[in-house]
Amino acid sequence: MSDADSNRKDTETPLRSHGLISLWTVLLVVWTVANSTVAAVVVLLGAAITMPIAWILTSSGSTWSRIRWTPDGLLHFSLYGATFLVELVKANIAMMGYVYAPRIDIKPGIVKVRTRLKSPIGRLALANTIALTPGSLVMELRGDALFIHLLDIDGIDAEAMTETIVRPFERHLEHVFG
Amino acid sequence: MIELIGSLLILAGAVFLFSAGLGLVRMPDSFTRIQAGTKATTLGNVLIVVGLAFYHPGWTLKLVLVIFFVLMTNPVSSHALSRAAHRIRTPMAPATVMDALADDQKTNEAGGAT
Repeated sequence: MSDADSNRKDTETPLRSHGLISLWTVLLVVWTVANSTVAAVVVLLGAAITMPIAWILTSSGSTWSRIRWTPDGLLHFSLYGATFLVELVKANIAMMGYVYAPRIDIKPGIVKVRTRLKSPIGRLALANTIALTPGSLVMELRGDALFIHLLDIDGIDAEAMTETIVRPFERHLEHVFG
Repeated sequence: MIELIGSLLILAGAVFLFSAGLGLVRMPDSFTRIQAGTKATTLGNVLIVVGLAFYHPGWTLKLVLVIFFVLMTNPVSSHALSRAAHRIRTPMAPATVMDALADDQKTNEAGGAT
């Protein structure tokens, strides 16, 4: 697939109602958690308030239309969450190693990597995740190319390292966001 | 006992936040500083909030929401900062090995639109 094709990726027309319900559900869950109650009045009020918000936000763009609320999607979302937590702790320990080293001896650099994810929200999730994994930070997103700033690429094959950073998350996110 | 666990979690969070601050001082350039700031503050904040949940079990759900927003917004701000820094050509550390983003921009300018 060429660059131009992946930028113009709205080949399968996403259902707007699907996106509306997805966003509405997410907002309603946030509302319920923030109020920490499931009293009927509060939930109904929340539904009434979040509905117009979801309506307005889904009226432009198909960002929310690609989430898959299937058991498979939910399973992979929890797997993704678990992987993410492990990587977050690893990232912090690695970062402390750099920070407390007597002499900071790193060779930073920016590498380019392509993602298989198609949907904007999937790419957003991937970019956010990479920012919190060891020694990497997404700087720019162009089409399907991610530009990742690596803290220390000395002595490591940049391509191989990229594979180990991106692929584990991509595998799970693919099932959730497409 | 529960309060002790909460205190230890908050202490651990404070250690990570301190490391983030130290990282900001010690790292060689803007981009590596952003990296140090993003990761350690995320885990530091999460640990402190979880510790707080041990002290006030009634707040747990709201604190979960706080963690969710921290996890969502922290990477976005670091991404925006580093992108802006690169756009105004903030110098990178002399040790920097490669810059694929600048190379990509050069080929774009030379070869027109891609």
